[in-house]
Amino acid sequence: MFRFALASIVTGLLSCASAAGALAQSAPILPPYQGVYQPVGVDEIGIWQEDDEGERRLAASPLVIRDERLTSYVKDVLCSAVGEDRCSATRVYIMREPTFNATMSPNGTMRVFSGLLLRMRSEAELAAILGHEFGHFESRHSLNIFKSQRRGTDLLAWGALLASMSPSYDVRRNYRNLEISVYGNLFRYKRDQEREADTLGIVYLNNSNLRPQAASEVWQNLMGEIEASANSRGLSRPRFNAVAFTASHPPEGERAAYLSQLASPEGASRDDGAARYQEVLSTWLPMFLDDQIKLNDFGASEYIIESLARNGWTATLWFARGELYRTRGNQRDLVNAAQFYANAIGMDANLAEAYRGLGLSLLKTNNMTDGEAALRRYLELNPDADDAMMIRLMVPTENSQ
Amino acid sequence: MKDKFRSIALLASFIFLVSSPAIAQERSAVRQGFELAPNSGKRILVFRPSISVGAQSTGGMFEPNAEWTDQARENLQVALDALQSRLGNEVIVAPEAFGEDARNLQEHMALFSAVSQAVIEYQFFVGNRLPTKKRDNREDVFDWSLGEGVADLPGAEGADYGLFIYNRDAYGSTGRKILQVLAAFGPGLAVQSGEHVGYAGLVDLRTGDLLWLNADGAMGGDPREVDGSQKRARQLLEEFPGSDIEAE
Repeated sequence: MFRFALASIVTGLLSCASAAGALAQSAPILPPYQGVYQPVGVDEIGIWQEDDEGERRLAASPLVIRDERLTSYVKDVLCSAVGEDRCSATRVYIMREPTFNATMSPNGTMRVFSGLLLRMRSEAELAAILGHEFGHFESRHSLNIFKSQRRGTDLLAWGALLASMSPSYDVRRNYRNLEISVYGNLFRYKRDQEREADTLGIVYLNNSNLRPQAASEVWQNLMGEIEASANSRGLSRPRFNAVAFTASHPPEGERAAYLSQLASPEGASRDDGAARYQEVLSTWLPMFLDDQIKLNDFGASEYIIESLARNGWTATLWFARGELYRTRGNQRDLVNAAQFYANAIGMDANLAEAYRGLGLSLLKTNNMTDGEAALRRYLELNPDADDAMMIRLMVPTENSQ
Repeated sequence: MKDKFRSIALLASFIFLVSSPAIAQERSAVRQGFELAPNSGKRILVFRPSISVGAQSTGGMFEPNAEWTDQARENLQVALDALQSRLGNEVIVAPEAFGEDARNLQEHMALFSAVSQAVIEYQFFVGNRLPTKKRDNREDVFDWSLGEGVADLPGAEGADYGLFIYNRDAYGSTGRKILQVLAAFGPGLAVQSGEHVGYAGLVDLRTGDLLWLNADGAMGGDPREVDGSQKRARQLLEEFPGSDIEAE
């Protein structure tokens, strides 16, 4: 009898989850704007209040980059994607966090990671990601996930109770199966929500003044980066179309494919705002690249630097590449690093940090004279550097004065 | 693109039955040599309490409830004000902070929460012991500090001590209660319904030393009600140095 009860519950849950996760694959249209949204019902009001407390803490967090120009620029990009009326419901916070991510929480708090800004190449690409996040907000995905998790765990609690009342091997096995199908459904439900947000994101972009084809390019680029990272670590080639049991998002290959299909062909000739984007980001690149290099992911960092250099190498990029090679620190890397620093100095003769890296690389490859000269130049350019005392110890003549 | 880790942790932890016994009792401690005489004219700065009240779903998830949280915040504030006279010293509410001050305050709130969690986890309840704190535990020494940075907190210059308060309630939902009863009568399993955790700590605003900490993993009194919140406030502040609030 218990077995029958379990089986019917499982069937009920499966059908309910798949109905909720059904994706509209037909040609998407922009849903009408509902006006400023306020939470409804105990659960949603409760979640919003928790989120308001969270935002209060976030606003005072040391991880937030408090730069008005950068923040308002990112907000403008969001507005240009989703429209002025929609975007007025959001607050944007730029987080200093060197990974590829952005999140949107239920009350309209958008967190944009610096690692995302480093990887995007144009306003259109950034707008694709921000539009996706806004899609989660507009469709109230956090609330739905909360409810589905509650349904799932409630069901498992009852299932465990029933199973423990009849301790036979069969019943226990049925309970295990129930657990696996509930967990599997919760993960699949999340992936379906990501697909829905992707669809909404591309609809916003189709209706904006930006080039919607950029959405697919984001994922193609990310696949390039993941592959470069795996290659440099000697791992096997990642599979971009396999869905793991616990995967929170659809695989990158699938996303790139359906986003390129859904992008409106008329939009292909639109501006993607690459020049404006690079101009705003240029002052932030040194910091973002430095954070990325410290992740100790050689292949990915090299891929990012090289893809930024597609528009031409700059002193900042040569310097970052020098830092990347010097941080890995094999003798062969130091020789390359010295060359990259020299290139950076060739473009900007006052780049103090490049002299430091050059000097340290040359000293380690036993080129003492040139190395000390570079370090001396570093101290001339930046006498109050944090490490000035330490560097002085490496320069004999400076030391004896 | 969010909640990836949260959901995995959730699935791994929540489902069922016996909840963690880590903070299933109550304990308090006072720093050696610290005495706060009644009516000694000291001023105590109260920081914004962290309060959340909600329900516990059948499967054990926390379901936030804004209405209850608002009521509890209001009631507890009234109850704390009423207790003020019994604390034996003057109580002032920390001013609203802006800009750099707000960031500093936020960091210290997080620091207090981390330190008090460490005390509760590693000193109050036997089981886990930090290697560096083993001797303190044996000799009953209570020695924890937030550092001298607390002296720069907004409002600290006009006060001697800072009081931090944390309170979290999850009331068992109807489903949880039915599960509890059926599990007890059927297979005879113990399902915990509801969770009422709170702690309060007093910090010296010159040295940053933690002077007093009171933690309770099963508090009484319903902060959603006026009467209940008075009992709750008394329990949060029981055995407060220099007060006449006794253990209940």
